[in-house]
Amino acid sequence: MSLFAQIRDYIDSLVHASARPDPLAAARHRAFIAPRLVGGLFALTALPIHLAIGGRPGMLEILFYAWLATPILVACYLSRTGRYEREQLTSSVSLAALVSAVAMATGGITSFAAVWLVVVPLEAALSASRRVVTAASAVALAAAGLLYLIGPQALAAFTPSPVLTTFGIISAALYATGLALGSASLARTGSRLLMVEEDRYRLLARNITDVITRHRRNGTVRFASPAAESLFGVPARALLGHGLFDRVHVGDRPAYLKALADAATQLDSSSVEFRIRRETPPDSDRPAPFIWVEMRCRALDRAEGESAQTEREVVAVMRDVTDRKAQEHAVEDAREEAERANAAKSRFLATMSHELRTPLNAIIGFSEMLANEEPMQLDKSRRHEYATLIGESGQHLLSVVNGILDMSKIESGNFEITPEPFAPAPVIGTCCDLMALRAREAGIDLVCRVPADLPDIVADKRAVKQILINLLSNAIKFTQRGGRVSVRGELSGAEVVFTVEDTGVGIGEDDLRHVGDPFFQVRTAYDRPHDGTGLGLSIVKGLIELHGGELSMRSRLGSGTSVSVRLPIDCEQGRVVDAPSNVERLPLPEPVVLPAETRVRKRA
Amino acid sequence: MAKTVLIVEDNELNMKLFHDLLEAHGYHTVGTRNGIEALDLARKHRPDLIIMDIQLPEVSGLEVTKWLKDDPELKSIPVVAVTAFAMKGDEERIREGGCEAYLSKPISVGKFIETVRHFLGTEQRR
Repeated sequence: MSLFAQIRDYIDSLVHASARPDPLAAARHRAFIAPRLVGGLFALTALPIHLAIGGRPGMLEILFYAWLATPILVACYLSRTGRYEREQLTSSVSLAALVSAVAMATGGITSFAAVWLVVVPLEAALSASRRVVTAASAVALAAAGLLYLIGPQALAAFTPSPVLTTFGIISAALYATGLALGSASLARTGSRLLMVEEDRYRLLARNITDVITRHRRNGTVRFASPAAESLFGVPARALLGHGLFDRVHVGDRPAYLKALADAATQLDSSSVEFRIRRETPPDSDRPAPFIWVEMRCRALDRAEGESAQTEREVVAVMRDVTDRKAQEHAVEDAREEAERANAAKSRFLATMSHELRTPLNAIIGFSEMLANEEPMQLDKSRRHEYATLIGESGQHLLSVVNGILDMSKIESGNFEITPEPFAPAPVIGTCCDLMALRAREAGIDLVCRVPADLPDIVADKRAVKQILINLLSNAIKFTQRGGRVSVRGELSGAEVVFTVEDTGVGIGEDDLRHVGDPFFQVRTAYDRPHDGTGLGLSIVKGLIELHGGELSMRSRLGSGTSVSVRLPIDCEQGRVVDAPSNVERLPLPEPVVLPAETRVRKRA
Repeated sequence: MAKTVLIVEDNELNMKLFHDLLEAHGYHTVGTRNGIEALDLARKHRPDLIIMDIQLPEVSGLEVTKWLKDDPELKSIPVVAVTAFAMKGDEERIREGGCEAYLSKPISVGKFIETVRHFLGTEQRR
């Protein structure tokens, strides 16, 4: 390591800890310490030479040397305390005193040394502190005044010579040059630091994706950072004034303004999320989309000299949170879906429990009575009757279980249909015959209208039968005594349409959408007016979909329901799975009011 | 005189079961499948006990019970809910609805008769 570098490191180590973090202050401290140390030491080296040549020094000479050494002390003081301005001032006073003393001894104000007083404020100028410069100038002027008033002292016999005067001027000029160089070096340091700072800002401004804006309290924008271009699709200047506000979604504007006002009045930062329009390229025909933006804002500190009454400005940082919002929505949707599924499961379990327990009650009850025939005193016909009832309940139970199994097979895609060609008219007839007894018991007219020329269709015969029976059974169940249920078959293009119509209770608009959902029966809970699993129609729906057909329902509360099943003539051609079922509202006039005493007869 | 039990039950087979069981134990019974009719029958026959199904056409058994309990002349008649609603919480809700007792379907014949006797005492066999 070179000697120069060693000296530099040594001087660096003398800079007080408080000045080190700020490069400019550290440079100032160095510029203060280095020349004083060097100058002081240089002056002290002259002492042994003086001793060798001039012998024992007088009192005045010792004082002179001590004075020359004071800059070392001042430099050490700064190194220890870090109080730059005070030490600068001490140094100025010390220099002024030295110059005055020399001048006094060598001819007063006309002395060759007096010109050095000019150096005092120049030296102080390095501090860049107006206070220090003012004080140093005052000290220099006072010293000059003192010299003029008091005049030459002590060595009054001293004769000024042009050589000495020249020496005084040249030395002062050299020192001033040194100070000027030091000042230039400090200025360079300053501008270099400024450039580093600017580079750093440019790095941030170019690479940060968040938009930084400055707002007045009323929301108008005074500054927007360049990142606005990528976030909003418009240059930052387009956001100035009301540019940003106009892009905020109308529904979110109050929240946006409130966040800014909150930040301006309270000292806390506030945060808000809102939608904002992002401009699309002009050739795009899609409307400008809204993106979700999160904005954090906080009041700017008042600049020095601003009164407490001036309105505080707000600085805000905005970032695109559209993806996060989308995720939040997805999570929320998934949660709702899960809750719906869970509710459906609970409802299913409750319904199943109820539907299984009802026939089980008769089975277990009657069989317990049979088991206790002695104490119950049952005669033969009673016993026979009970056994028949147990059998009937068992059959009902079996049909419930089969319904559940069919449904779960359809739902899981395991239900196989075996299409075969057959004539639909006899099948409709058979179904009507099967349901005729129940209709008669319920006091309902069952009408069957099938044209004789209905062509053969290719479908699963058993499934078609089940579809019709389920629909007829529903129609009879939900129709009051004296009502009418009709079934119709007809050809419509390449499809056969079966229509089951009733004059029953009908289905409300809201419920119409859910009819056919598994286990859904209009009005669940304890006041469910009709028993049944709600499986019938969902099985029908599933079977129709397996045939590539379509189910449509039209209904009006209190006026009856019409259910149409469209099946392709040949279900093996162009089978469409998951065809959506079409449900619409039938525009019927004058809803029929149900008589209060409605009885719907059902079998166990 | 035999005590009268009003049975409100919309399922034919279960209605027959309760009817036969109660008659066999010496009670007189009146039955209906309809909640609204139940109220009229209660006023007309003044039964000593009501066996109430909860799921009924038109109005639920809970609703009928509420009407009964709101009627100063009928509210003293004990109501025994016999229902296939047997999920968690059903008993609490039904008891809170004003029913004096709750039996879940399928019933145990012994428990059923025991409950009826608890409210009516033993009757002479036919």
